[in-house]
Amino acid sequence: MTESKGSITRRAFVRGAAGAIAGATFVPGRAFGANERLNIAAIGVGGMGAANLNACTAENIVALCDVDSDYGGRTFKKFPQARTYLDYRDMLDKEGKNIDAVIIATPDHTHATIGMECIRRGKHVYLQKPLAHSIYEVRTLTEAARKQGVQTQMGNQGHSSDAIRMLYEWIQDGAIGPVREVYAWSDRPVGGDPWSDFPIMARPKETPAVPKSLDWDRWLGPVAYRPYHPIYHPMSWRGFWDFGTGALGDMGCHILDPAFWVLNLGHPERVEAVTTHYQPEVAAETYPRASVVRYEFPARGAMPPVKLTWFDGRLLPPRPKALEPGRRLPGNGALLVGDKGTIMHGSHGAGGVRIIPETQMKAYDRPAKSLPRVKDGSGGHERDWVRACKDGKPASSSFEYGGPLTEMVLLGVLAMRLKDATLEWDPVNMKVTNNDEADKYIRPVFRDGWTL
Amino acid sequence: MKDRTLSRRDFMGAAAAIGAFTVVPRHVLGGAGHTAPSEKLNIAGIGAGGQAASDLRHMESENIVALCDVDWRRARGMFNRHPEARKYRDFREMLDKEDDKIDAVVVAIPDHMHAAASMAAIKRGKHVYCEKPLTHDVSEARVLAEAARKAGVATQMGNQGQASEGTRLMCETIWDGAIGQVREVHVWTDRPLRGINDVYWPQGVGRPAETPAVPDEVAWDLWLGTAPERPYHPDYMPFKWRGWWDFGTGALGDIGCHSMDPIFRALKLGHPTSVEACCTLVNDESYPVASRVTYEFPARGAMAPVTLHWYDGGMKPPRPKELEDGRAWDTNGTLFVGDDGKMLGNRLIPESRQTKYGKPPQQIERSPGHYVEWIQACKGGKPAGSNFPDHAGLLAQVVLLGNLALRPALKEKVTRTRLMWDGDAMKVTNMPEANQFLQRTYRKGWTL
Repeated sequence: MTESKGSITRRAFVRGAAGAIAGATFVPGRAFGANERLNIAAIGVGGMGAANLNACTAENIVALCDVDSDYGGRTFKKFPQARTYLDYRDMLDKEGKNIDAVIIATPDHTHATIGMECIRRGKHVYLQKPLAHSIYEVRTLTEAARKQGVQTQMGNQGHSSDAIRMLYEWIQDGAIGPVREVYAWSDRPVGGDPWSDFPIMARPKETPAVPKSLDWDRWLGPVAYRPYHPIYHPMSWRGFWDFGTGALGDMGCHILDPAFWVLNLGHPERVEAVTTHYQPEVAAETYPRASVVRYEFPARGAMPPVKLTWFDGRLLPPRPKALEPGRRLPGNGALLVGDKGTIMHGSHGAGGVRIIPETQMKAYDRPAKSLPRVKDGSGGHERDWVRACKDGKPASSSFEYGGPLTEMVLLGVLAMRLKDATLEWDPVNMKVTNNDEADKYIRPVFRDGWTL
Repeated sequence: MKDRTLSRRDFMGAAAAIGAFTVVPRHVLGGAGHTAPSEKLNIAGIGAGGQAASDLRHMESENIVALCDVDWRRARGMFNRHPEARKYRDFREMLDKEDDKIDAVVVAIPDHMHAAASMAAIKRGKHVYCEKPLTHDVSEARVLAEAARKAGVATQMGNQGQASEGTRLMCETIWDGAIGQVREVHVWTDRPLRGINDVYWPQGVGRPAETPAVPDEVAWDLWLGTAPERPYHPDYMPFKWRGWWDFGTGALGDIGCHSMDPIFRALKLGHPTSVEACCTLVNDESYPVASRVTYEFPARGAMAPVTLHWYDGGMKPPRPKELEDGRAWDTNGTLFVGDDGKMLGNRLIPESRQTKYGKPPQQIERSPGHYVEWIQACKGGKPAGSNFPDHAGLLAQVVLLGNLALRPALKEKVTRTRLMWDGDAMKVTNMPEANQFLQRTYRKGWTL
């Protein structure tokens, strides 16, 4: 590990020194000319980060950072002009003024520390969903971004979709009347694909050697030390309490996004959850095989209170009577139940949004488009952020929006952790008023040497 | 050789029994197969360990004349308690040999053998007490109930709660209109969990690969009975058979006949019009870790149509507003949602409403006790509360129908439609392939 770290750092240093001189043109807060390119760095480039970068190839990709030179290696090769780093702090130190903006796509448990470091340095930030691992981290990031005036975007690309805007317009139009119930679900953690199957297990006891390509200590970041095991990295960290946020954290920012936005849900008053966990050593380590989380939102202006129920692990709401025989509930999706009808949609920004049954959909006289669309919809989500960095107008899912959405999602995750209890939520003080055990999950203690 | 030794011992046991209790075989009494109230029944146990032991202890006012179990480790307690009872491994052999010596049988063995054992007894005119769920398959429940009706034998399913004061109060409160029309019921169990941090038996697991030796005192082939051949493994028996499709009926089968029984009575339910379900990832070997099953029942007379939601594996409905802070929202329960209020179990919530309401007018006769009901019925008294033809057969069919909607082979289709159920014809009308699960094919050598 030491050898590997040394060699990567050396290489990164060489590249970094050369590139820094050539690209040192950034002035914080500068105005961009129409054809000027943004200088982008990325942290965590093996998985979603690679996809996010591919959407930004019209800009300058100047630096890349990954704690795993193998996993990140394909992306390193794809952008040979970019200097590569093992440690994001090292990168930010060395690249300093070369970087306008940073894409962060690391595991959930490192979103906040990395995001804060970038924001503090005045960098625009594109940060994968969920915004962070704990509610306190989300709140801190949201407030810091506001204070620093940087442009932000959370990686819930569905929020840039046409479908979510259409849904907004329908709800404003009263298409299904006042909405009082929402049901949302994900087939994860057993979606059936490698990225959607999370482990459900006790903490592994074996301590295999850390691969040469990986800096395990940096991968752990602010989380309490534990020995390396291949079950954590890549991808499967999502299933572990310490690193991921489970099916709800993974998919909630996509699937609950439409209802949260179009119904202006804000902070819930209370939340409760049941889960399938029963073995203490498994329950202490990983997310459950399945859970049901129930939120209650108070009235917002003219909109009545909403009860929102989340299902995962292939549990589903009762099949709506309005859904015609033969029509499938999507693997990931939601139902908005109004006084005058029901809307069903899929994941990633109200995909496939329809009023059910189809007869009611067909009879619906759709309102004219009132909201501006994001160029290229979901596929334009990263570029919408690039646009924001250049013209100073917020991106579609800036932290001002993505922060509260993630807080709501993470409150559900908290309820899963404190299952079988009704949690009363005081959003101003970030406090569960009837359960003090919640505090340590709302604001976890970081490992020595790590702060926000 | 071994068998012969046992038979000799059994014979000795029989001799002892005659000496001690002055048994008069049923055929000597004459009449329509009923033992006179003043006489004792001669009861045989099909199953002698576990729940069978518990049931048989409630029958000890009568003569326990024979005991049969495929696992003599588990049966030892009852064997010792009733040294006079003749001992068997194969209930077919017991029924053959004891035919003229027994009046009634108690069937408390794994679910997949309920129907075969009960039917064998009914065919011989024996009264039958059978554990819940009545059977493993929907069709078996119907066939068995019909056979019991034709044979005129006294029957009782082992859902003891049916005889309780609580069941009666639940019915009478609802019939009194205390919460108005009931359109929605939620019923849930923690099983296969035991509370929220333990498990009774595993579900959602695959077939074990190891093939350990069959323990000396286990007759594995007889334990398998009607089920397809497979090697012995301690993951199946004792007790854990509940989680396997081939043997048990999952959490729903285990608890549904208990907790849905009072709902059936209170709401006078019959066959549902449809059933629909969701569950965690499910395989062909064992029931899922958690499920939700939703039944739709049509109007019954003046009673409105009702939706019944079943939950297991730790799932449950949302905590009702009416439940006071500080009161437990238990891992097992029944919630009636009426037009004019809610009932948790047999009490209105909040408790202040129950206090104000008091007690419903009594409409149902009280029970002398679940086991006594059956014993009295065997002796010519009125039918027991959960007899097969009038009640348990239907209840079990409806409970077991829920498992159809969880079958892995149907899961994809169940995401597209609910199963439409024709109770009279006993078939799913909109998914023909579902009907194969109404009745298993028995292993060669076994019949109903």
